[in-house]
Amino acid sequence: MVEKTIIITRFDPDRDEKPRKQEYTVPCEDSWKVLDAVNFIKDEIDATVSHRWSCRMAVCGSCGMMVNGEPKLTCKTALSDYDDRVDIEPLANFPIVRDLVVELDGFMHKFESVKPWIIRAKEQAEDKASLHPEKDTFGQSTEELGNFKQFSMCINCMLCYSACPVVANEPDFLGPAAIALGHRYNLDSRDEGAEERHDIFRGEGTVFSCSYANECSEVCPKNVDPAAAINQAKFGTVIDWAKGLVLPRGGTK
Amino acid sequence: MAGPAHPEAMAPPTPGRTRAAPPQMPSTWWSAKRIRTYILFDATGIIYFLIAFLGIRLINALGAGPEAWDAAMESLKNPIYIAFHLLTLVSVIFVAVRFFRLFPKAQPPAMGPMKPPPGPIIHGMLYVVWFGITAFMTAVLAGVIL
Repeated sequence: MVEKTIIITRFDPDRDEKPRKQEYTVPCEDSWKVLDAVNFIKDEIDATVSHRWSCRMAVCGSCGMMVNGEPKLTCKTALSDYDDRVDIEPLANFPIVRDLVVELDGFMHKFESVKPWIIRAKEQAEDKASLHPEKDTFGQSTEELGNFKQFSMCINCMLCYSACPVVANEPDFLGPAAIALGHRYNLDSRDEGAEERHDIFRGEGTVFSCSYANECSEVCPKNVDPAAAINQAKFGTVIDWAKGLVLPRGGTK
Repeated sequence: MAGPAHPEAMAPPTPGRTRAAPPQMPSTWWSAKRIRTYILFDATGIIYFLIAFLGIRLINALGAGPEAWDAAMESLKNPIYIAFHLLTLVSVIFVAVRFFRLFPKAQPPAMGPMKPPPGPIIHGMLYVVWFGITAFMTAVLAGVIL
């Protein structure tokens, strides 16, 4: 057991003008993750500390925080990797609701704007009518799944938004996770909405705002590689635009 | 230590019910280890900015006649200019290598029936093209061909 000083950013919207720091001395087990220390503080020292967490196994994406200035999934980050003083802050680039809890509405709004669902060209009823009773119209080969599977592993932990230098400076930027999700559907063989999404991607604050810093991919705890998705989406958007210039009716069937 | 990020970064489309503190970002973000390569990459822009001025100066000298051109060429032998050109060369190589490293994963996984070759082959192709063009340009400038 080792004693560590855990410094937590506190912010009470009813009392505090701006966020402040509070230090806690915590007896830490060698096997603890950073989240264990925050939970210990909440359970044993100061019940007023607010933070989000749920699964403790890097699946739910709730416990993203800044640990010594780096965006980390705290349930996956060993406390033993740090010195005696560990600074835990809310995720960078997000408005702070309370202590370590950040505002999610802006993120959800960006997420929704890329139409993260399967779009079919025909109406759903027509689609169903054309189904062969014994065949699965939406069947997908392993190879087709492989085209997008990596980008579907995102757990919405938002670490990529905290690491991205463009998000910090350009409020309209859709951001890594949202673009990666839109691109995931563009690569899905069942989807027919790539042109719609490319129209979105051509707009202000989208794929071309990305300067390929690659920070999103560096911090991603699930190796989704959003930077790859964004830059592939740039390519797809340009190809769609070029088809619109060269082909009759913009290449639409 | 945290400093302010853009006050509107990740702001909700409509204000929330409770007051929120403005977004922050680490004040030492520029010195973080993981972002160092990107900062260096961005900093090379300063070198290209400066070399653009040198280019304008040389074009002016070219327009001012043979004597001005010779004087400009002579001034380039100054050690400061030579050091600057070496720095430019290093920065161009750095930018090219970084670009080549990131290029393969920016390829779409498939374009119709076509799939891009594996990353190492793309890397190899990029370096072959780079060295080929460099060798060709060197031969042209040295008067060996053309």
